[in-house]
Amino acid sequence: MAKLPIDIDRIIEQFGPTLNFPKPEGIPGRDEPDKVVETHCCFCGMQCGIKLLAKNNKIVGFEPWMEFPFNQGRLCPKGVQRYMQDNHPDRLTTPLLNVPGEGYRPIQWEKAMDMTVSEIKRIQSLHGKDAFAVLSGVSLTNEKSYMVGKLARTAIKTKNLDYNGRLCMVSAGAGNKKAFGLDRTSNNYDDLEKAEVIIVTGANVSETFPTLTYWLWRARDNGAKLIVVDPRIIPLARTADIHLDIRPGTDSALFGAILNYMIEHDMLDHNFIDNYTSGFEAAKEAVKDYTLEWAETITGTKKEKIEAAAQLWGKAATSFLLHARGIEHHTKGVENVLSCINIVLASGRIGKPYCGYGTITGQGNGQGGREHGHKCDQLPGNRDIENPEHRKYIAGVWGIDEKELPGKGLSAYEIIEAIHRNEIKGLLSLCFNPLVSLPNNNYVREALEKLEFYVGIDFFMSETMRHCDIILPGSLHEEEEGTVTTAEGRVVRIRKVVDPPKNARTDSAILMELAQRLGAGDKFNFVNSEAVFNELRVASKGGTADYYGITYAKIEKNMGVFWPCPELDHPGTPRLWEDKKFKTPDGKAHFNPVHYHPSMDPVDEEYPVILTTGRVVSQYLSGTQTRRIGKLVEQFAQPLLEIHPTLAAQYNIQQHEEVRVITKRGEALFPANIVETIREDTVFIPYHWPGKKSANQLTSGHLDPISKIPEFKVSACQLIPTGKQAYVAKDAPDYKSN
Amino acid sequence: MLQKINLKAFLVAVLATVLTLLLVLIGSRRLQNFDAALVAYLFGTLFAIFGIVYRYMVWIQRPPTRLYFKSSFRILFSKDFLYYLRYAIKDFFKNIVLQDFILKRGKKRGISHLLMAVGCTIAFSITFPLTFGWIHFTLDPVSGLDPNLEPIYTAHFFGFDVMHFPVKSFVGFLTFGALNWCSLLVIIGASYFLQKRLKDPGLIATQTFEGDILPLLLLILVSLTGLGLTLDYEFMKGQTYEFMAVTHAFFVIVFLVWMPFGKFFHIIQRPAQIGAHIYRKVGKQLGMQVCKHTGKEYATQLHIADLKKLTRQLGFQLESKNGQSLLEYSPEGKRDLVAIAHLKARQESGTYFG
Amino acid sequence: MHHYYKLQEEFFVDMQRCIGCKSCEAACAECETNGEESMIHVNYVDRAVTIQTTVQVCMHCDDPVCANVCPADAITKDEFGIVHTANTSRCIGCSNCVMACPFGVPKKVEHYDLMMKCNMCYDRTSVGKKPMCATVCPSGALFYGTREEMEKMRPNSSPVNQFVFGQEVVKTKVNIMMPKGSTELKIF
Repeated sequence: MAKLPIDIDRIIEQFGPTLNFPKPEGIPGRDEPDKVVETHCCFCGMQCGIKLLAKNNKIVGFEPWMEFPFNQGRLCPKGVQRYMQDNHPDRLTTPLLNVPGEGYRPIQWEKAMDMTVSEIKRIQSLHGKDAFAVLSGVSLTNEKSYMVGKLARTAIKTKNLDYNGRLCMVSAGAGNKKAFGLDRTSNNYDDLEKAEVIIVTGANVSETFPTLTYWLWRARDNGAKLIVVDPRIIPLARTADIHLDIRPGTDSALFGAILNYMIEHDMLDHNFIDNYTSGFEAAKEAVKDYTLEWAETITGTKKEKIEAAAQLWGKAATSFLLHARGIEHHTKGVENVLSCINIVLASGRIGKPYCGYGTITGQGNGQGGREHGHKCDQLPGNRDIENPEHRKYIAGVWGIDEKELPGKGLSAYEIIEAIHRNEIKGLLSLCFNPLVSLPNNNYVREALEKLEFYVGIDFFMSETMRHCDIILPGSLHEEEEGTVTTAEGRVVRIRKVVDPPKNARTDSAILMELAQRLGAGDKFNFVNSEAVFNELRVASKGGTADYYGITYAKIEKNMGVFWPCPELDHPGTPRLWEDKKFKTPDGKAHFNPVHYHPSMDPVDEEYPVILTTGRVVSQYLSGTQTRRIGKLVEQFAQPLLEIHPTLAAQYNIQQHEEVRVITKRGEALFPANIVETIREDTVFIPYHWPGKKSANQLTSGHLDPISKIPEFKVSACQLIPTGKQAYVAKDAPDYKSN
Repeated sequence: MLQKINLKAFLVAVLATVLTLLLVLIGSRRLQNFDAALVAYLFGTLFAIFGIVYRYMVWIQRPPTRLYFKSSFRILFSKDFLYYLRYAIKDFFKNIVLQDFILKRGKKRGISHLLMAVGCTIAFSITFPLTFGWIHFTLDPVSGLDPNLEPIYTAHFFGFDVMHFPVKSFVGFLTFGALNWCSLLVIIGASYFLQKRLKDPGLIATQTFEGDILPLLLLILVSLTGLGLTLDYEFMKGQTYEFMAVTHAFFVIVFLVWMPFGKFFHIIQRPAQIGAHIYRKVGKQLGMQVCKHTGKEYATQLHIADLKKLTRQLGFQLESKNGQSLLEYSPEGKRDLVAIAHLKARQESGTYFG
Repeated sequence: MHHYYKLQEEFFVDMQRCIGCKSCEAACAECETNGEESMIHVNYVDRAVTIQTTVQVCMHCDDPVCANVCPADAITKDEFGIVHTANTSRCIGCSNCVMACPFGVPKKVEHYDLMMKCNMCYDRTSVGKKPMCATVCPSGALFYGTREEMEKMRPNSSPVNQFVFGQEVVKTKVNIMMPKGSTELKIF
């Protein structure tokens, strides 16, 4: 019944998180590895190149991969420590059955598969096909993402398939599709190098995409002016030319005012606007009252600073605008994105050298995963699941009748809500830890407990996996061949370095067996990952994300190929829109009118402080991997509440005192870190931790109406000091908080 | 090293050597008990004593060493003498005898080092007195002549009888086999380090042949040839005695002559660690120094005050003209100072980058 | 593949580029010469008021204060100008070097009763590879390469290897990138 079989402390004792440290005397064999394999980091969208060293079928270390063009050997601490996820004591190595009162009982694969398939069939025969949902993750390769999508739609035959990219860059994807008709960053990062002005908004680059910092610093060595928009003085903002420390949730007001300023001061590329765009007048109309003074009151940032930024942006000859979750995790995430695109289009600086725009995709395969697999409204090649022609094409590739292909399903958070409503009774999840990563996680927990049957595929016992009835031990990034698509749109090769340990299987093998047992074996006759990719190429052919011209050999030869790449002799497309032929129906880039709206959980007298959430450099997302790596945990052992000294004084909060943070969803205790590097009206908590330390006990489940992304970045909260000093981070056992 | 002779050190070394020689004469009853076959060893040992004392004297005259040496003396004559003596004995047992700090650097490493140290120490304490003629053994004539009696040996120290024991007793077994057991310990310990030095990439990068490999080889060679003597005597009826004796003597003498110069000198230096521990303990009682930047304690006030004098004496002027000293900042504070100065320079130039 | 120390390659530090990610610290522990101990230092300069971090490798001084104040002759400088970490058999753990180094580099590892410090990844540099920290640094705060490469990448900055502490001028092997034309950095 998807409840914890035993006490949570006993689960933690058995399955971790346990901290894995390198041995003081070094790992035997590191100096004489059998294999040195050029692959990529398993974490963020940068997908930095790295060489893994293996000895006797075990990962023993890494070596920088100096030749890979994006990172040239550079790595963040997560990348350096990534190999510590191998040979990990917490690794799941055998299928497990949830036995109430007893724990997780090891069972044979045969039995696990039998039970899983019979439960899927039982639920679907009683409650309909869509009563069984699939939640997937984009740490999976393109091949696996594609298989998950195909499995859900042709074997499980449910429409309710979604993925954790829903918490990532869906707002950007939706905004980009509206404006450009295509969802990919417009440029690769080489174009940063000689951009005159760079705006980084809602992107804590130096903690979440550390290796991208190098390209920003290079641009600045070449004279670029850097404008950083963030409520905190993040490392990038400290030396920035202009730091706009706006109030969380007021991004579209800022960019609306900048657009208005550009219009009023005629800092526009009329030729570009007239010939290659549409919708300018409506966009102009929407911001006509957005004066600098107005923007100052809304954003809480001095108008002189906003003006200086608008002038820099308006006058530049070349520029790059980058954004990430900071503007996307809002109920108006899509609007925020569109407000950014508007100032890019007004400047006409796109589709040219050193003129760029893009979202920085967060997850390892956030880009490729959403294009080909497991998004509730999309089919491979970034096709629309509601578009009859697209449906017909994919049905053809998959050898099914178009009518059999399910339609658009529920998004990730909506699936949780549907479980609450008893509409969804069964769930398959892989590489997704919603109990940590979704907002209002007490509500998520209740949903999981309501499931009649829950089966999960993962390599560690994540907080969510603890609820599974059946646990299927899957594979790590370095245990299977494949490809991923980086934040730049570069398709790169992931290499198998070692085999899954003991009784664990590759994710592909598990997916294929499920398909076969569900009667769709004929559609899953893949001999290897390359065969999957070759089918994906055909499936994506003619779609906006066209991979047809990309082959394993071509990727290996060029160290990555940028999509779209429609023909085998096509070199790939690092920079989009050089031909100014946009993928919208009218072939033009679209301005969209963006009116500023307040956030859904505004501050009031009862909840007077703005709470925003984010990440720290040593942790990755829900921490399933990084909370198990000793050094990364030591670097930032527990979430701290960042608070300005003025606000702290107002509540008489002392440094490192435990503070009760309360929102309408719940409450939790966090040690205060009193710093001047945050707005006086805002507090910040990183979200990587589970249970009592989870920031997502506090965040709201309000969704963007278009992208369905939850509003992680703005919650109204109360602060109550407890008068107790918190544990010192390193001594805190809280990394495994229940 | 010997370009300029340190007169003080030279005189003390000469004195030590002469003193040893004197003790040899007394201990061996005017060479009556001296084994002439060991004369080469004696000269090697005398050279080693001269070298070690000379180097030790030069060493403790260096300002930083003198600092610890002097402070140890101060404590020796202070009212807390008994307290620190007890601490020193405890520390000696923990760190010099048991070598706890090496054990913490690695279990195998600690045990191997301990094997070498125990082997060497026992071997030294047997061979030096033997060489000096301080110890010798005689066979009890009565027991020796009568084949029905068990042979009884008498051990003499400084010419006095100290002990009688039958050869085949436990004491006899230990006494006459002691050097063999020492050899075995040393061989096991040194072989561990040797294989480690041949395999460990970090050690390979930083070690030198004469500084790290040669000492291990010497230890192993001395021990092997020493064992060789026993093997020859026990199993080969002395057929290779000449060869064994010469090679053993050769390696032992090289070892002795090398002692003052090479790695083995650390055996002499190591007890200074106890001095450093006591120094810190004394300093802690006097009070801690607080970093001017971080506001945290980082060293003892005694240490910082002494270091100020020491650096000045060595020619480093780490104070500003207004008397502010760099040493009043903790390591973290000093790193911050550099970063703050760098930030200021960058800010004054108008750009962080370029 | 080279198998010798490349004298033409140098270390360049620019702490204003540091983002405090501690990638270098994690990577330093991958160096074979210091086991799992990290020898590079990253710390907040004053977290309560700024996010500024600084990064410090051993500067490898021409006349190293650490070696001078060592009572045990445990610290030596080699022919390439690398000031090596304490000789494990000699170091008595007194911390003279830790407290006297003007850059705050040596670290006393209490557990081992031993001082340890950066030796510029000698296991890597001695065979022509770059130090781990400078290879992985994602911001370019640490760079290892030739002067020509640096000059080309950052024509508007000058490498400086002369530092003023009070009345002492310390010259080092490692450079800090300063505004163009700078010849020294005055600390106080």
